[in-house]
Amino acid sequence: MEPDKPFSPEEDPARFQKEGALTRFARNQLATLALILLAMVVVLSLSTRTFLTATNIFNVLRAFSWIAIASFGQSIVIISGGIDLSAGSNMAFSGIITAMLLVEGVNVPLSIGAGLGITLLIGFANGLMISKTKLPPFIATLGMMSIVRGFCYGMTQGWPVRGLPRSFIALGQTDLSFFIWRVPVPAIIMVCFAVLVYILLDKTKLGYHTYAVGGNEYAASLAGIFTGKVKNIAFTLSGFLAGVGGILMTARLGVAAPTAASGYELDIIAAAVIGGISLTGGEGNVWGALIGAAIMQILRNALVLLGFPAYWQPAAIGAVIIGAVMIDMYRKKSI
Amino acid sequence: MHKTLRITVFLTAVVFLLGVLLAGGVFAQEQTLTFAWIPKALDNPVFELGRDGAFVKAQELTETTDYTVEIIYIGSVASDAAEQSRVVEDVIARGVDGIGISCNDPDALIDVINKAVEAGIPVMTWDSDAPDSERFTYLGVSNYDGGVAAAELLVRFMGEEGDVALLTGVPGAFNLEERIRGFRDGVADYPGIEIVTTVACYDDIATGVQVVEETMLAYPDLDGWFFVGLWPLFADRGSMPLWEEAAASGDMKVVAFDTLPVQLEYMKDGLLVGLVGQKYWGWGYDTIQMLFDYIVHDAAFPDWTDSGMDIVTMYNVDAMIEAWETSDFTKPLPPPFPED
Repeated sequence: MEPDKPFSPEEDPARFQKEGALTRFARNQLATLALILLAMVVVLSLSTRTFLTATNIFNVLRAFSWIAIASFGQSIVIISGGIDLSAGSNMAFSGIITAMLLVEGVNVPLSIGAGLGITLLIGFANGLMISKTKLPPFIATLGMMSIVRGFCYGMTQGWPVRGLPRSFIALGQTDLSFFIWRVPVPAIIMVCFAVLVYILLDKTKLGYHTYAVGGNEYAASLAGIFTGKVKNIAFTLSGFLAGVGGILMTARLGVAAPTAASGYELDIIAAAVIGGISLTGGEGNVWGALIGAAIMQILRNALVLLGFPAYWQPAAIGAVIIGAVMIDMYRKKSI
Repeated sequence: MHKTLRITVFLTAVVFLLGVLLAGGVFAQEQTLTFAWIPKALDNPVFELGRDGAFVKAQELTETTDYTVEIIYIGSVASDAAEQSRVVEDVIARGVDGIGISCNDPDALIDVINKAVEAGIPVMTWDSDAPDSERFTYLGVSNYDGGVAAAELLVRFMGEEGDVALLTGVPGAFNLEERIRGFRDGVADYPGIEIVTTVACYDDIATGVQVVEETMLAYPDLDGWFFVGLWPLFADRGSMPLWEEAAASGDMKVVAFDTLPVQLEYMKDGLLVGLVGQKYWGWGYDTIQMLFDYIVHDAAFPDWTDSGMDIVTMYNVDAMIEAWETSDFTKPLPPPFPED
């Protein structure tokens, strides 16, 4: 059966207008988030003498780059109405596959290609399970999280993989000159992927379809959208982007540990949610996820710089997650 | 007719199977000793070293005695007391001759340990104890004493005054808290030493690297570090530039728990001055010997068997590196301070 051709903005001005309003709405939402971020930066700059140094800023940027990149993929999945719990395991796995090949003497591009390829396949498998067998995304990716983690332990026998070549580590540890600053490579890669995902979600038909499927799957399928295909692509991209994050993290540390990125899936999801991406789907954008990841990392950074007791830090982080989302919801109601 | 034939075949099969099982059981009882060696988790490399020690001892005993000693290496993937209890129950059901276990929780494992003992399987604990259970002994170190030893090492290299930072894993983990308590008591005699901050990395390498660098930014004039575990040291050179620079300059002294090869490399490069380590290899090697002696020779053990600690400094680091390279930890380590 040939489905109806999905409509484009030109063919359906009413829908286009609605999208326009949605975009404006999202911009407002971004403004609130940016304001929260700015407030944190100002307070920290005034209360510590170290926060606003280039070293610290780039340190923070590097540290959240891999969470942010994985969070872009997570955002696509959440916008399409799903959730990807296997992101943390995928981050560890891409690093381990790449590191193991590097240690065997395989060249850098090929090793990275294999690491990314495998997480792309894992993402695709997630997508297939969800679109073909109708498994709930929570269950499918929960199972996958465990399967992939098991492979991490099994293939390394519990030992971290070390002794990676400098040419690979450079990817995570080099800083590139950019005007007067020396910007870490992972941060630059993060910005590149943010732009790519923004284009995908905002400027392509697939992007419109992703919002449509997440907003109302039944309506989307009636409109002739291949909902299964959209979900498949969303999960595949999530796997791939988690893989990218994992490889950058491995390059930065120079070691691929089977326990790496344990529990990161929650940080990745939290970054997206703080960034205004609704867990019910169909809402939010990639810049929100970027700011969400930044807020989380700056908070962690602040707690250390301010000498906040380590024992109380999880409580502070939890309070900020809830606070950020509540401010966002309050703003929505008040407008 | 058909039915009778089927029943006959079925009964024959059952008898045959039972015969094999019984014969196997009798055979096993006479010749083979099977020990279950259960770590806290399968995701921690130090336990792999203990496992290797256990297998080496099993091999030695098989070659030098009338017994064939077999090791079952089994555990929960992550540190989890409930999951570990299930593993112990499985091992009891399977039937082994002895169990050596590192408990995830001092209380949660009491019930299953006592069940094993009731079933006639002697149990001993290593590394992490369940003191109120029926285990016959505990092989381990006092983490508190380890913390005190770390403090002594730091004072020796850093002097009697300075600002010190602590890096821990998961706040509240009993062994880590004990080490910290020991360390605090160890430096309490020196009013010039101030612990300026304690940061936590939640057992995550990336977080460890991050918080160490952040601490270096917040306290650029730090004189000393105590890493309560080795987390950020798993990362390769270049991942903590600020820390490395300060440590290499000699103005900041770093002591750490554990004595893994990655740390020995850092020590060779002058970035770490002192290490306090448990005898991981002995966790397996000595435990299997003790289980064997307990069962075969009816040996008696005290409630707590001190496994001792390895103190590694630049004076004996080479011997430790050699032990790792040859996988032979049976030779005693030279003294950490030869002039004493």
